[in-house]
Amino acid sequence: MPTTTTTDAGADVGVRTHVSGRPHRVRSGVSWILRLAMYAALAWVVLKWMPGNPDRAGKASDAVQFALVGLSLNIIIGYTGQLSLGHQGFVGAGAFAAAYSATVKGAPFAVSILIAMAVSALFAFMLGVVALRITGLYLALITLVFGLTLEVSLFEVEEFTNAGAGQPAHRPDFLIENKPYFYFCLAMLVAVVYVDWQLTRTKAGRALFALRENERVAAAFGINVTAFKLLAFVLSGAIAGLAGALFAYRYENVTGADYDFFLALTFVLMVVVGGLNSRVGVILGAVLFSPFGLEQLLEIHSVRDFIANIPGIGEGRIQFMPRMIGAFLLIQTVVLNPGGIAQQLRPVTRWLGGKPFSLHGDKDSGPGVVEGSSARA
Amino acid sequence: MPVLEVRDLSIRFGGLQALEGVNIDVNEWEIVGLIGPNGAGKTTAFNCITGFYKPNTGTVRYRGADVTRTPPHKKAAMGFGRTFQNVGMVKSTTALENLKTAQHAKVQYDVLSGLGGAPASWREERELEEKADAILDMLDLQSIRDTKVGGLSYGTLKLLELGCALATDPEILLLDEPSSGMGPDESDELGERLLKLRKEFGLTMLLIEHHVPLVLRVCDHVYVLNFGRLLAEGGPSVIQTHPEVVAAYLGGEAPEALAKTQETNEDAALDEGTHRALKRGGRTPGRKAAAKGTAKARPAKSAKPAKSAKLAEPAKAAKAAKPTKAAAAEPAPVVPAPRQAARKPAAPRKAAPTGGETVATPKPAAKRAPRKTAGSTTSTTTTRTITPPPPAAEPSVGDATGTDEERS
Repeated sequence: MPTTTTTDAGADVGVRTHVSGRPHRVRSGVSWILRLAMYAALAWVVLKWMPGNPDRAGKASDAVQFALVGLSLNIIIGYTGQLSLGHQGFVGAGAFAAAYSATVKGAPFAVSILIAMAVSALFAFMLGVVALRITGLYLALITLVFGLTLEVSLFEVEEFTNAGAGQPAHRPDFLIENKPYFYFCLAMLVAVVYVDWQLTRTKAGRALFALRENERVAAAFGINVTAFKLLAFVLSGAIAGLAGALFAYRYENVTGADYDFFLALTFVLMVVVGGLNSRVGVILGAVLFSPFGLEQLLEIHSVRDFIANIPGIGEGRIQFMPRMIGAFLLIQTVVLNPGGIAQQLRPVTRWLGGKPFSLHGDKDSGPGVVEGSSARA
Repeated sequence: MPVLEVRDLSIRFGGLQALEGVNIDVNEWEIVGLIGPNGAGKTTAFNCITGFYKPNTGTVRYRGADVTRTPPHKKAAMGFGRTFQNVGMVKSTTALENLKTAQHAKVQYDVLSGLGGAPASWREERELEEKADAILDMLDLQSIRDTKVGGLSYGTLKLLELGCALATDPEILLLDEPSSGMGPDESDELGERLLKLRKEFGLTMLLIEHHVPLVLRVCDHVYVLNFGRLLAEGGPSVIQTHPEVVAAYLGGEAPEALAKTQETNEDAALDEGTHRALKRGGRTPGRKAAAKGTAKARPAKSAKPAKSAKLAEPAKAAKAAKPTKAAAAEPAPVVPAPRQAARKPAAPRKAAPTGGETVATPKPAAKRAPRKTAGSTTSTTTTRTITPPPPAAEPSVGDATGTDEERS
């Protein structure tokens, strides 16, 4: 085989040119056109179809809020290797803080969101202090109790809950419609994804990965384990608070019952099924478990009829199906597929990222990615 | 003034006095060895020096400043680079990422500007990567640049860990068994490398090492620990023939054991397995035996298999004498014993299976004793005589320090 080029980058291309008989550049061009088509389709779905009608736009903004919570939880469970079963507490605290500060204290919209982030970050900081001393099962128990305690204490205070009727939280005029509100939520998600990306790129993220695996090694590398663990909790809390504020404004009313333990379980479930340590996976998992995902799927008539016709389910029990599917997916993920949805989609996401399509992935894929954290989760 | 000055260091874990009144001095550009039998407290001393343990009494001074209570991450920033016995790295990330992580303390941009994606952070990340690449080049590890650390072989891991310690930009390097998991050739190469590093980076080093040729080659000064106390110190050649050191290592009945086993290739191959087996189940018994000071019990047990094997005559003669004194009075088996070894090739082979069993059983302390001494007899080099060869030594230290680390 004649070698046409000798430069390291071009060697492969040159050979292929010879074999296939046409320039490699064209093929890579085709694949880029396909990629662009995919980007366009994705953009159309997210920007155009999702907020297509007010009802769908509302549920889509729910999905975005779930994605925010997912990213928040991923920082604790995925990056830092801790556990939080009380995340509904942070989200709820954020929701109440936003509604209370805006409606009762008259804080402007933006300020109320910042207050929500600060309050949730403070709660997360407190839990982070506990996590400095306790790990594993006991930490899980403490976070669980933390969430439940907030549920029956703070979320029941009459001043916050408007004597049980729920604290109203009115959107500013420009967000009254569901469609602009969805875009607003989406913008927030983009901002958080950016911060999350920067986190994993810079020293803070590396510090978290290091302390997740071995705190002594992290310390030997000069990483202040205490400070970075707290940073992870505070950052996670702030994002959860943001999500909480968006929840509050989404329904324009906050009651304690909205933030129950089942929600916390859903959060953990969606992060694990989506794929810990993967932004794409976590977001997809969150969408799947949000009101926009499985529940929306059951709204489709043919799907609904199909499931209702399965012996033993019937029309009456169909409302339990999303939970059943969720439980099934969790088992499937933990047993067969520790990388979650992200692992399954990696060939596609890699290709979309500009690399050649390959089912076998690269060295980054595989269970090793989440080994450290999934074992603890 | 010494770079590192350890004075009267003592630490106690419950009923176990792990270290007592240990003094260590490390001068600028010196490579100092810290050796001792299993459970002697070498890694505990390391942990005290690097701040992972708070000693009960004593001081650690670094260039004159008292750093006894300084937390480990601050010490890392001050210039303490260290490696761990069981390889300390972030296993789920790549070699490159590890080297970048290790440079943490030197990173200038703060966390928030990093999260905001400030241009300075991008620039500096590039610099970190360049430095990481330079280290990979220096250690000939470019081929594993983007490989997950978790999948690498033990020897490579040890080398990369050394690279990570270098990436922290240390002034004093504390290496915990850098040659474990390496073959003789590799550890020779490591010796060269350490000397070269000292020259290039002006490093000062303190190393725990069991591989005697390496200690003899690179160390300027050697400290010997036994049961938490400093047993001896001096130049490597002095230590090599120091009667008490020899006795401590060979358990007092050395010559007998010498006759019986030989380090085989199988042993070396099983080495890794032993390490793992011990990590799982065998740690505590080993540690306990060592801790209780069963120095006398050990040789007694080790003598058992020896009886079944035909003893060589010089060994018998030695046995007649008092155990500890025997080794002391008779440096002959300690300093080379190539001829003795060569004379009876049958004995080692018979004994080899016992060595194999050691691997399987999770109660290593007693059984390991024969294996430990084994290498010293049969090796043809004079250098092997003081300390056990790495295969025998490595798992045992694993149990000693393993418990230490769990305690914290």
